[in-house]
Amino acid sequence: MEYSDEDRDRRITQLRKGILELAVMGVLYHERHYGYSLVRALTETGSISLKEGTIYPILARLDRDGLVRSEWVESDQGPPRKYYALTTSGRQLFDELSKELDLLISLVQQKWKGVEPTTHAGKKLVVRKG
Amino acid sequence: MNEYPEAAAKIADDYLERVKLQLRLVPARERDEFLREIQSHIHEAYHRTPGEQTAGEDDVARMLAVLRNFGEPAEVVSDRLPKAMVRSGTKWNLPLYVLAGVTIALFGIPLGCGGVGVLVGLLIALLGIIFAFYVVAGAFLLAGAVFMSMGLIRIILPELWDKLIMLGFIQINGPAEVFNHLSPTGQAFFMIVFASAFLATGLGLLRLGKYLLRGLRFLMSLIFDGARRFAQTVRRKLRRDKGEPLPVSQMSFVK
Repeated sequence: MEYSDEDRDRRITQLRKGILELAVMGVLYHERHYGYSLVRALTETGSISLKEGTIYPILARLDRDGLVRSEWVESDQGPPRKYYALTTSGRQLFDELSKELDLLISLVQQKWKGVEPTTHAGKKLVVRKG
Repeated sequence: MNEYPEAAAKIADDYLERVKLQLRLVPARERDEFLREIQSHIHEAYHRTPGEQTAGEDDVARMLAVLRNFGEPAEVVSDRLPKAMVRSGTKWNLPLYVLAGVTIALFGIPLGCGGVGVLVGLLIALLGIIFAFYVVAGAFLLAGAVFMSMGLIRIILPELWDKLIMLGFIQINGPAEVFNHLSPTGQAFFMIVFASAFLATGLGLLRLGKYLLRGLRFLMSLIFDGARRFAQTVRRKLRRDKGEPLPVSQMSFVK
């Protein structure tokens, strides 16, 4: 049975939701950003497109959990901007989560060798990692 | 640089109002700060939107593009509501809920019972109309059958007819005495004609009953549709009052 476009999009959205929070932390790890500049930093490679407003629930969550701190800074180009930066605990958590992500990515990208089917009933199938 | 053209400013204000509406259960300070942040974002996005994307488009289209990229208010505020709702719910709304409960107990339940009573009464009245209609139709058919039998007896079994008159089962009095001056065949003919008229009327009523049922069904569906629409309106209003996002079908998009 083939999957539908809708089903694929839903799964991609689910996958992105989890990763996006980590990506936001990754961007804030190196330098502080305000909402708009954060979105630009995330999308400048062109590999991902997102609704810009969805960044704010993530920032709110990180702020609530004490993983980022924020401050208002006057701007000569328009209204003041609210800058976010990772806190120490945010940096520690990012380090741990990115290690976890590396493990998961390596798990997904492993080249699994095909299962060697057997015709003998009752015999266990053996899966070997390549 | 800080200001938008008038039409674009109206659209931005409308959007911010919608966000504000979604956030009305959030404490004022937190809400205002969030609105300022969004305002700042929209301002920068509007003024930095690359020229090639909006070349030849007017200010309205440019602002709409910015807001489309930004997302719907419900998505933007999604993570701010639960905490705020819990907080304001426990702090401010509890006495209101108690008051609402007491009000419903005092007035809502009796009024509701009254409404149910009216509905039940209406239903019984409608059923009564249907019942009466079919009783009349049945009476016509019965009268037709009796007259037909009497007409046939008059022709085929005259002795039985005489016996029935003697026993008092058939009585011809008053204006019907004219009937006695007719010949037996004439009497039978009249009775069969009457019987046919009664039977035709009874059968006609049965046929019309189908339309009566359809009419009543239509009337009932009108009543229940009205009640359903009313309930939906109340439910939508309650949902809006609670600050829950409306279903997509009921959302109004940026003008």
